[in-house]
Amino acid sequence: MPRAYPLPTDLSPATVTNTKSLVRIVAFALISGAAIASRLFAVINFESIIHEFDPWFNYRATRVLASKGFYEFWNWFDPTAWYPLGRVVGGTIYPGLMATSGVIYNFLQAIHIPVDIRNICVMLAPGFSALTAWSTYMFTKEMKDESAGLLAAAFIGIVPGYISRSVAGSYDNEAIAIFLLMFTFFLWIKALKQGSALFGTLAAVFYFYMVAAWGGYAFITNMIPLHALALLLMGRFTNRLYVAYSSWYAIGTLASMQVPFVGFQPVRTSEHMGALGVFGLLQIVAFVQLVRSHVSSKQFNNLLFALAVGAGVVGTVAIVGLTYMGWIAPWTGRFYSLWDTGYAKKYIPIIASVSEHQPTAWPSFFMDLHFLIFLFPAGVVLCFRELRDEHIFVIIYALVGSYFAGVMVRLMLTLTPVVCISAAIALSTVLDTYIDPSEPDLPVPEADETSGPSETTTDAPKKTKKDKTAPPPTSSGASVTELLSGMVVTPPSTSKKGAAKEKKTGIFGTDTRLAVILNAIGMLMFFVVHCTWVTSNAYSSPSVVLASHNADGLQLIDDFREAYYWLRQNTPETAVVMSWWDYGYQIAGMADRPTLVDNNTWNNTHIATVGKAMSSSEEVAYPILRKHDVDYVLVIFGGLIGYSGDDINKFLWMVRIAQGVWPDEIQEPKYFTPSGDYRVDEQASPAMRNSLMYKMSYYRFHELFGGGQATDRVRNQVMPKTGPTLDYLEEAFTSENWIVRIYQVKKEDPLGRDLKTANAFDQGKKRKRTRPPVRRRSAA
Amino acid sequence: MLLPLLALFALPAAIFAAKESTHDSLVKLAAQSGGIIKLNAQTYDLLTSPTRDWSASIQFTALDKRRRCSPCREFDPAWTAVAKAWSTVPKETRDNHFFATLDFDDGTTVFQKLGLQSAPVVLIFHPSEGSRRSANAQTPTTYDFSSGFDAEPLAEQLSSFTPIPIPYRAPVNWALWGTVGTLALVFGLTIRFLAPIFRSRWTWAALTTIISLVMTSGYMFTRIRGTPMTAADGSWIAPGFQNQYGQETTVVASIYGLLSASFLMLTLVAPLQSGSPNRQRTQIYLWSGVIMLLFSVLVSLFRVKNRGYPFKLIL
Repeated sequence: MPRAYPLPTDLSPATVTNTKSLVRIVAFALISGAAIASRLFAVINFESIIHEFDPWFNYRATRVLASKGFYEFWNWFDPTAWYPLGRVVGGTIYPGLMATSGVIYNFLQAIHIPVDIRNICVMLAPGFSALTAWSTYMFTKEMKDESAGLLAAAFIGIVPGYISRSVAGSYDNEAIAIFLLMFTFFLWIKALKQGSALFGTLAAVFYFYMVAAWGGYAFITNMIPLHALALLLMGRFTNRLYVAYSSWYAIGTLASMQVPFVGFQPVRTSEHMGALGVFGLLQIVAFVQLVRSHVSSKQFNNLLFALAVGAGVVGTVAIVGLTYMGWIAPWTGRFYSLWDTGYAKKYIPIIASVSEHQPTAWPSFFMDLHFLIFLFPAGVVLCFRELRDEHIFVIIYALVGSYFAGVMVRLMLTLTPVVCISAAIALSTVLDTYIDPSEPDLPVPEADETSGPSETTTDAPKKTKKDKTAPPPTSSGASVTELLSGMVVTPPSTSKKGAAKEKKTGIFGTDTRLAVILNAIGMLMFFVVHCTWVTSNAYSSPSVVLASHNADGLQLIDDFREAYYWLRQNTPETAVVMSWWDYGYQIAGMADRPTLVDNNTWNNTHIATVGKAMSSSEEVAYPILRKHDVDYVLVIFGGLIGYSGDDINKFLWMVRIAQGVWPDEIQEPKYFTPSGDYRVDEQASPAMRNSLMYKMSYYRFHELFGGGQATDRVRNQVMPKTGPTLDYLEEAFTSENWIVRIYQVKKEDPLGRDLKTANAFDQGKKRKRTRPPVRRRSAA
Repeated sequence: MLLPLLALFALPAAIFAAKESTHDSLVKLAAQSGGIIKLNAQTYDLLTSPTRDWSASIQFTALDKRRRCSPCREFDPAWTAVAKAWSTVPKETRDNHFFATLDFDDGTTVFQKLGLQSAPVVLIFHPSEGSRRSANAQTPTTYDFSSGFDAEPLAEQLSSFTPIPIPYRAPVNWALWGTVGTLALVFGLTIRFLAPIFRSRWTWAALTTIISLVMTSGYMFTRIRGTPMTAADGSWIAPGFQNQYGQETTVVASIYGLLSASFLMLTLVAPLQSGSPNRQRTQIYLWSGVIMLLFSVLVSLFRVKNRGYPFKLIL
């Protein structure tokens, strides 16, 4: 047998096995190191700080858990959120994340390693990313082999699509959820392959953990039934499937109902009905199979078939009927908007308003997945080539994942694992084919070989049995395992799996091998460079602290914390702060003050109230503010330094949401100029210029330019010469770069006048006071 | 002597009669053209005369091809459907609300008078007299297009201004049902011959691959945002990172597909060429070259979208 390059042949099997596991462990350590290290840009560039919005709430909850214990946390009622309603925190969150950090914290305390809870929260996501890499390795190993698994682990370790939600400090549910997702899927595949109730139960346990950790658990709830259904339709029902699915569903559903936030949803909502339906279907099919194996009469079989179909139809009708009767809740808006993409914008503006719920344009895919995105379809095709039961899972996952990722930017996260797996399968097949040193025989096809290596011989009988777990009969290249086994002394001509077939396939020459392998290595290196660049530039900003590059180098903009600490130190602890809901968690976390609305957007009316106050004139807004005991109003204004994520840019959503509740009082078109533009300058519509939000944003803005042209640098518009005036509020604090502006709500006038008259009177008095000197001068 | 006095007495009656006739002529006009009065500058003044006991909703549009108002043409069917639904209500209530259309070419002066710079616009005029008298009869309400050009939201929102709700019901989409029915029939008849195709894994593989390629090239973005295939000036790359045209989906999906196919060629097809090493070598170099080239094209496309991207390959 010709070889393209020589391999050592005098190695003992033990050496090969040991080296293999050593290499694997070293590779694994390096992958984990790379995964963790690339997520630390945020800590190195800025500091060990909690990022963005939701993580601030999670951090606050974790602090409660760490300091007061689990039961306190479980029963925690937070009176400062959603003032004056309050929030039952224990029953309205997924506690998995906080519980995980709490356990780690207590463990470290127990072994006398005093680590601050904040650092645990900051480092949790990078830590779990290493675990994600490991579970992806395990999953991909089930699909192909160890080498593909290692590639997949390396991909998912550094791919920006996953880093975007798991950098250090991004202490959010997704941080642990992707690990749980992959591990649950791995256990499901394992259970399916072995027909093992143990693995099915383990899958259910991790499913429970996932339910406790992330609302996206519904993805698993629907993926596994979809897989089972596809297998059923393809006529691949086996007892293994039955055991795996039944154990997963029964235990997983019961376990998931223990999470208070989920409660009875698994039996009462449409999202979970698919899983229940497939469970019922499997019972029917299993029953039919069982009876058929005992009774052989043809007529009876027909009857049985009709019965089974009838039972299925009755079950479906029952589910549909119960949905109509209202016993089963229809799809929730969030899920429904994934199918009917125009739904959210029309009926639930609050969901459509979130930037991560927007559809994804192609540059985002390339940015987040780079070259994996075009290896991904190749991997899917390779899955079709073998089409074992577990490959069907990857195929369904690929279809569903790519659709969801296209509809919502945020669901890129669920697509990323399958892209990594599929791309790893494709790339590792390429490498297998081209690293394999054996060349095909040119002149005469070699005679069929009967003596194979130990692995091949054990596989051989399976192949004939049309068992799906058998390795591909058409695989052209030898995997690394076989390659290594080729180096073993004992059977000299072992590494030729392809030789077992009639047609000898393979690659000739060393130059061709080098060309393809170098090409692949080049791409991998480009991938690493790309990932590093994207991670450090795009995904490592805490968004609490901003960085801007100017002539002097990097400049840090720390306005948010400046303003929140001002609130913390200068206002009474009971002072209620009103802001748009985006900043609710941050105010609660950093300023420790009660807020009206926050990022847990459970009460649309309350949010609309804030929207109404922000978009109405002062006179209309003042009673609303007073009724809600608001002491301070906080707005984010980017016009001075060009921070585009400010409240004026979000303003239309406030108007829209308020309009949804008070269509008679707030109308969106009134905030546009007659020609339909959204402007803040001279041409701004009266409703716009009188709105509280506009006034608070631009109050005294023109003074900053000392008579020159005041320009809004976000919207590139020249502001009017005279700025807005405020009667019912007064400026309390404005941060260094004017990003955060805080206004104090005036109390009612002690003399019972309305504040506008009082203010006019005050100003009138001032004018009188300034007159006398003039008069004196004229007298002199 | 007596005549002017008589005339004086007759005056209110005359006014009454005139008004009555205005209303009657409007009713007649509406009846003539299937429920929608086709306005011009004169009939517009008639319809919106300051004293009126009827309400009216008027669509200001520019349907002429030369005006190039594609939203106008998009909205017009919905308007017609809702007006038609209104014409089915009993006569005594129907005549209290009119649907009318004023085309730019028929009433340029009205457009100027109202300061309308864009079309389509829908204004709702409230009655100033009668039982449905409105306080702000002199300022018409502007219909809010934020919920799109569909007939359903239009009917729903206009219903708050009409005496009784507009009995609009979405028409049955016969074309869709027909297509579905025909397809089902064809499928049922040919299932015997098509079965091998549906049983083949490669059919499904092709389907899956195409769907994932299209989805990962931003197809849903163009669907949801309704972006056009190309810009009006013919350029097909939309500026900006979070934006794209339909043409980009096609181009990017085919680049992804070609790259994927090249990799599959390298893994699946090239090793089969065991007959002649030279043919195999040519193939391998060809596909590697294609991969390099297309990948650099892709990266340079990405650089157009993301100006700050520092890397590039050959191109």
